[in-house]
Amino acid sequence: MLNKLLILARAIALGAVLSTVSLPAAADSVSDAKLEELQKKLDQSMKMIEALGARVKELEGHTSNGTVAAAAPAPDPQRLQAVEQKVAQIETANATRQTDDSGLPIHGFADVNVGNHNLYFPYAKGTNVGSLDFYLAPKLGDRVVSLAELIFETGPDGHVGTDLERFQIGYQFNDQATVWVGRFHTPYGYVNTALHHGVWLADSLRRPKFVNFEDKGGVMPSHTVGVWVTGAEREGNGKFLYDLYAGNGQQIQGGTLDMQTGGNGHGAAIVGARLSYQFIGGAVDGLLVGVNGFTDKVNDDSTNPALIRLNMVGAYAVYDTDTWEHIIEAYSFHDKNLNGSPGTHRSEAWFAQFGYRASWGVPYVRYERAMLDQLDPYFNEQTFGASYYRSALGVRFDINAKSSIKFEVAHTRNTDDRPATDYRPSDAEIGLPQQYDEILAQYAVRF
Amino acid sequence: MSKGRRTLKKNTGRNSLQRSTILCGAAALMLLAAWCPAADLRAGVSLEELPQGWHDDRARDLTLTALQGHRVVLTMAYAACHRLCPATMDEFKRMQRVVDARGEIVDFVIVGYDPKNDSPAVWHQYRLSRGLNRDNWHFLSGSQTATEQLARKLGFPFWTYDEHVMHESRAVLFDTSGAQRAVLGSRDPRWSDAL
Repeated sequence: MLNKLLILARAIALGAVLSTVSLPAAADSVSDAKLEELQKKLDQSMKMIEALGARVKELEGHTSNGTVAAAAPAPDPQRLQAVEQKVAQIETANATRQTDDSGLPIHGFADVNVGNHNLYFPYAKGTNVGSLDFYLAPKLGDRVVSLAELIFETGPDGHVGTDLERFQIGYQFNDQATVWVGRFHTPYGYVNTALHHGVWLADSLRRPKFVNFEDKGGVMPSHTVGVWVTGAEREGNGKFLYDLYAGNGQQIQGGTLDMQTGGNGHGAAIVGARLSYQFIGGAVDGLLVGVNGFTDKVNDDSTNPALIRLNMVGAYAVYDTDTWEHIIEAYSFHDKNLNGSPGTHRSEAWFAQFGYRASWGVPYVRYERAMLDQLDPYFNEQTFGASYYRSALGVRFDINAKSSIKFEVAHTRNTDDRPATDYRPSDAEIGLPQQYDEILAQYAVRF
Repeated sequence: MSKGRRTLKKNTGRNSLQRSTILCGAAALMLLAAWCPAADLRAGVSLEELPQGWHDDRARDLTLTALQGHRVVLTMAYAACHRLCPATMDEFKRMQRVVDARGEIVDFVIVGYDPKNDSPAVWHQYRLSRGLNRDNWHFLSGSQTATEQLARKLGFPFWTYDEHVMHESRAVLFDTSGAQRAVLGSRDPRWSDAL
């Protein structure tokens, strides 16, 4: 019997230790001081309640014995109310502490697709699994911020791969300045830093092709591994936003741009900035305009690697209201070969998307155009680096707050004839059609 | 020798049983620890039990208990939301029309999910741009702690994805004494029916 009790005691002790350990470590010193103060107040309040409780019992005892002490003062209702209110405040404060320490919730997004072409890799057809996106944003204190986006997704080869798409740890000095270090979405345009990987979030079924992620047909460095400073300053009826960043220069690997998560071999960097202004209120409430640019040194993984100075300048405008979502982004590239045959190359790409937020759904129309110089190794060596235009018409229906169905019909035409090079096979060998029509459906959820 | 082995086996068995019992107990306590915070999500939380320190869109202090005496419909929203929150505002407008027709007064309270971005000035602009100018509509901002506390007590689950707030469509109706009377959600076709 004694042994059983001993075992039970051990179990309780271990459980208590484990349940304590399962909570995150101590809060910062400020929170501790506040908690200590709250604990003191709680202790005082509990003592007061006990005293009042004892007094009430005493009075009840007198009543039941028929000997009500006429001279005994009744408990002060106002004081009782004040005590109750104080206890309620302390309870809620403690409850908040429990929530802060109750572990890390996992949220995310997922999507599946059906179409006569794969929405990213047109050489594949039928049903395809899009991505399973786990988003984690552990709270590490008042100013220390972090986020991770871990994705399981189908790659160009049809196999499911895992990618730590974003991993950032930062420090928030104030609203005007937060510094992030890690792998982040490169701050250019609107789509790349507003819509991220969660497909459910976007009104459209997919991003414009040239601003898609590197492994989904995009030709721009949508991820950077480095340091990013960002902030905003309210100014009258609007807000200035800025982004400054520097990170590892990218490399083209197997026809796909890689952000060099482990550091790059040539030691060069990407450096860029974005400046935006958001109108708040008035006739242009919801309008956001901005300019951006970066300079990057990119090489490839061939035996005789090309080295390219990639320079981009761009501008964008977004009109985002309860009724409309219009997005326009335009980019101009001025690239320079740094070895091999010298030369400079100029390319342009832009898209315009117009959406209407009706009560029944969100219809949208989009046109995108990329005119990419094929003498520029930066575009020529990328599998999806051909010039193209695409017109698309789509609609989003929300089934409930967590799931949506989207449909899109699109026509795409590649306007470059891309024969095989020393670096990559021809588009025909890869199976990329010169032009194709798509009928696509997507079921996207958040959780 | 064999007896010793048997004894050893027996002891090992007992130790194993003890370990199992300890682990089961520990697991049960861990489950209990994990379950305890959920107990705070009890139904029927009154206005008095909610955090009280809020600022309206003119940066004036407002306590929720100050609204007692009228019925209160409370929801949570964020100003940059263009998907669910506009629909919630439409439901509130429909409810306003119903109570106007009855000659009643109901306070509509909208608490910001995102106090970092949704300052009183932002809410003030929000109501101006949408014509939500009635005095009985209160757009409130509070501390992050108070916001999370209120959301938890009233069952408004939310999480943030960068600058986006992932949330649901929901409102809570309180009677004139501040007691909770109904919870409205996306499954309720017309929230005004609850009035």
